[in-house]
Amino acid sequence: MSDLGTSAVTGPEAETGGFETEIGGSAPGPVISERKQARRESWRLIRRRPSFIIGSAIVSIWVVCAILGNRITPHHPLDFRAKDSSGLPALHLSPRAAFPFGTDATGRDVLSRVMAGARDVLKIAPMAAILGVLLGVIVGMIMGYLGGWVDLVLSRIVEAFLALPVVLIALLAITTLGRSDWVVVGVVAVLFTPVVARTVRSAVLAERDLDYVTSARLRGETGRFVMFREILPNVSGPIIVELTVRIGYAVFTVATLSFLGAGPPPPSPDWGAQVSEGFRVLGAGIWWTTLFPALAIASLVIAVNLIADSVQSVLDAS
Amino acid sequence: MTLADAPVITAALEVRDLEVAYVVRGVDREVLRGVSFSIAPGEAYGLVGESGCGKSTTAYAAVRYLPDNGKILSGSIHVAGDDVIGMNAEQLRRFRATEASMVYQDPGASLNPSLRVGRQITECFTLLGQSKDEARRSSIAALARVRIAAPESVMDRYPFQLSGGMQQRVVIAMALACNPKLLVLDEPTTGLDATVEAEVLDLVRALRSESDAAILFIAHNLGVIRSMCDRVGVMYAGKIVEEGPSQAVFDDPKHPYTVGLLRSLPRHGIRKTDRALATIPGTLPLIGSALPTCVFVDRCPLASDVCRTEVPPVVQIGPAGDRYTRCHHADRIDDLEVESVTVDIAMLAASEHNPDVLELSHVSKTFRQRGNSIPALVDVDFTLAEGETLGIVGESGSGKSTLARTMLGIETLDQGGDMALDGAHLQGSTSQRSASEKRSMQMVFQNPDSALNRSWSVRRILVRCVTKLTGLKGEEANTRVEQLAAHLRLTPRHLDLKPRQLSGGLKQRVAIARAFAGDPRIVVCDEPTSALDVSVQAAILNLLADLQVEKRTSYLLITHDMGVVRYLADRIAVMYLGRIQEIGLTDDVFNGPHHPYTEALLSSVPSVDGEATLRIRLDGEIPTPANPPSGCVFHPRCPRAIEGVCEVTEPPLLEVAPGHSIRCHIPIEELRILQAK
Repeated sequence: MSDLGTSAVTGPEAETGGFETEIGGSAPGPVISERKQARRESWRLIRRRPSFIIGSAIVSIWVVCAILGNRITPHHPLDFRAKDSSGLPALHLSPRAAFPFGTDATGRDVLSRVMAGARDVLKIAPMAAILGVLLGVIVGMIMGYLGGWVDLVLSRIVEAFLALPVVLIALLAITTLGRSDWVVVGVVAVLFTPVVARTVRSAVLAERDLDYVTSARLRGETGRFVMFREILPNVSGPIIVELTVRIGYAVFTVATLSFLGAGPPPPSPDWGAQVSEGFRVLGAGIWWTTLFPALAIASLVIAVNLIADSVQSVLDAS
Repeated sequence: MTLADAPVITAALEVRDLEVAYVVRGVDREVLRGVSFSIAPGEAYGLVGESGCGKSTTAYAAVRYLPDNGKILSGSIHVAGDDVIGMNAEQLRRFRATEASMVYQDPGASLNPSLRVGRQITECFTLLGQSKDEARRSSIAALARVRIAAPESVMDRYPFQLSGGMQQRVVIAMALACNPKLLVLDEPTTGLDATVEAEVLDLVRALRSESDAAILFIAHNLGVIRSMCDRVGVMYAGKIVEEGPSQAVFDDPKHPYTVGLLRSLPRHGIRKTDRALATIPGTLPLIGSALPTCVFVDRCPLASDVCRTEVPPVVQIGPAGDRYTRCHHADRIDDLEVESVTVDIAMLAASEHNPDVLELSHVSKTFRQRGNSIPALVDVDFTLAEGETLGIVGESGSGKSTLARTMLGIETLDQGGDMALDGAHLQGSTSQRSASEKRSMQMVFQNPDSALNRSWSVRRILVRCVTKLTGLKGEEANTRVEQLAAHLRLTPRHLDLKPRQLSGGLKQRVAIARAFAGDPRIVVCDEPTSALDVSVQAAILNLLADLQVEKRTSYLLITHDMGVVRYLADRIAVMYLGRIQEIGLTDDVFNGPHHPYTEALLSSVPSVDGEATLRIRLDGEIPTPANPPSGCVFHPRCPRAIEGVCEVTEPPLLEVAPGHSIRCHIPIEELRILQAK
């Protein structure tokens, strides 16, 4: 009788280190760490990164603002009007203890409006990003897996899309279709699809030629099964990274659209709309109505990118 | 003791009690646990052992090329008397420029792809202080030294314009530029074809006589080490367990690990009908794990209590004082049993005249690429009988894998050919085949890491395959998977793991289980063991042989390893440039008279047995199939080509003896005489 030869499975204490470093090794070394352990490990590594801590702290602040809205703002973002001692509206008050971010052209509290404005952007941007990534995954998967003329045709379409100025097309679409949250979500998602598709395509190309795909075809699996059951779990890393990056871009794009007037109508405390209202009086030295909403946009974009960055570097390392 | 007495000054490389650890997430994981050896000037020293034993780490430590997380804990390294560990950055740079050189496994990766070869070589010489003109002259001389025929023209080329063998020559020329005192060769021929490997090894052998560099040779191929090295150290889990002159160590091993390693190799021409291969029970300990006093004790058939409590002594062997083994039971080595013949397999071989399962007639496959047609398979005919193993051998690019893929329907064969399964016409493409035809033909891939979906559990992989191929569902499918797994000696615990949690051998078992999920008639095994260590290889080969006896499955075995094909195959087909050059019973093909290409393949394999082999050498590399040579496609490389005949007409595949066909213009009798010499 031949012996078992290789019967042991190592416990969770086994790590990858040594085998990766055995550079000239002739054959793959035995057993690497448990997958769940590895996932927990990467999560632990992500949480330890300063960029992740800072990024998620900022994002959580905005999420709290978005959820609680009026309940935590110092004043009502729409109805409140600041008054001076004589009871007249206090317009364009510069930042002070009572109004840390000052007041705007109609005497509303800028701080309250910035806080409340988080809701609009956090409602739309992640949805747009998720939808865009979903569409991109489907298109990219088809391009990468089927290859050939399908890939050729879709690639040209993707390139054509990439050549279009995103904001211009979005404005056109919103003007044509009318403004609603769903239209903004849809338009931004469609505009993101080609970029995501390209990322997914290249990840799928690397997987397509692996033998497990050949093996699936040998037992007669359908293309759909191979694409979404066999390959998809193995390209989830780049897709997660892409999703976080896209959320950042979506915040930016949605804010830009509001700035250009394609956002929610005036009384709304939308950040982009606030910047656009405020910047007209910038020349008169009234900087606070522009700076604070702009900072809000920047902080959210940067925070999301910090998270994306740490997710990417941990996934790359493992 | 010899070790301690070795004069430090004269040794080209002197390693003492070297302990190295890799820091993984803040924890030291020990890889080398006290390695000591020395190499005299002009001597070649080989390190052998399975992957993960620390041989490459030793080599990298010797020239201080350890990766960033590598840490030398203790011990000393001296090259020609200089302390390597104590060097600062500048000393180290000068040391690497002038005293030590390294040649890596993949020559393509060692050369800068965007610089001409000449520029890269001259750089080595300008670094040594030569002027531009001097450096150019030296470079041409260096290339000539590594037997490159037209050095000037090679200087003007880019690495990608050179073949693998030529690239490795260039790398060796660069390594020798500084006339190093120590040359480290880390698996220098592993990525190369057998015939090219033979060429490179010949070159290294010739260079040894011209230079007094000490060579540290790392290889997992024991045959290569035996043919190249004066002395050898056998490594296991970061320790040298046995050391001595390579011939003595390989002919008469004195450590249980060396014995196990050598017995697990298919050698001395043994066949599956002779005996099962010996295996080493258990697995290599993980890097960094705490080990008992004797590192091998958990897998050792001779182990006793003393092995766990006391460090094994260094036992000197023979009067010469040049051999030692680290074993408490060195005197009992001869008690290790040799396993006996497997009766079943012997019986299988006796029962001949099995019905044919698969028949290929005039099968060709032409790829189209940018308007060119590339014939990858040309007019292949053969039959595969029930329960038979047909071995396919040939260099890379000879069409072995295309043949397998065409049979399986992954590639569709050209018009004009035909395939028949059990006498019935077989559709060319997998998608057009019936469920039972798909079920009949399955495949075991070379690399289990690529063949198993890494995000699926073993159970899911097998259940899906059973469901798809046999139609069994739910609990029934699960029961079948559990039976299948038990059959392949996988425990239920393994079923719920992901592939990456399994060792290489276990992964390959899962891949084999998957291929056998639907009780196939034919299994294509594409290099099933070349990604595995030898002790694991033996277990897998035994398993394949056992399964075949039991299930009467036919195998198409693709391999470059002559020992493996000889062990497992009943018949062998030798392919070159998409054509079968020779096909016949294993013994006929091995014993000859054989096709000159077969002859070259056989003589290029360095044998661990040290048997005298006829050495005929092939020049150059396999031509591109897009532009095959005229006449016999092998004639430009054939040492026996007949001028005026071979380059004009392609010889037919003629039956020279019952069941033995050769495609050659030279008559069989003449081949017999030529090859008898």
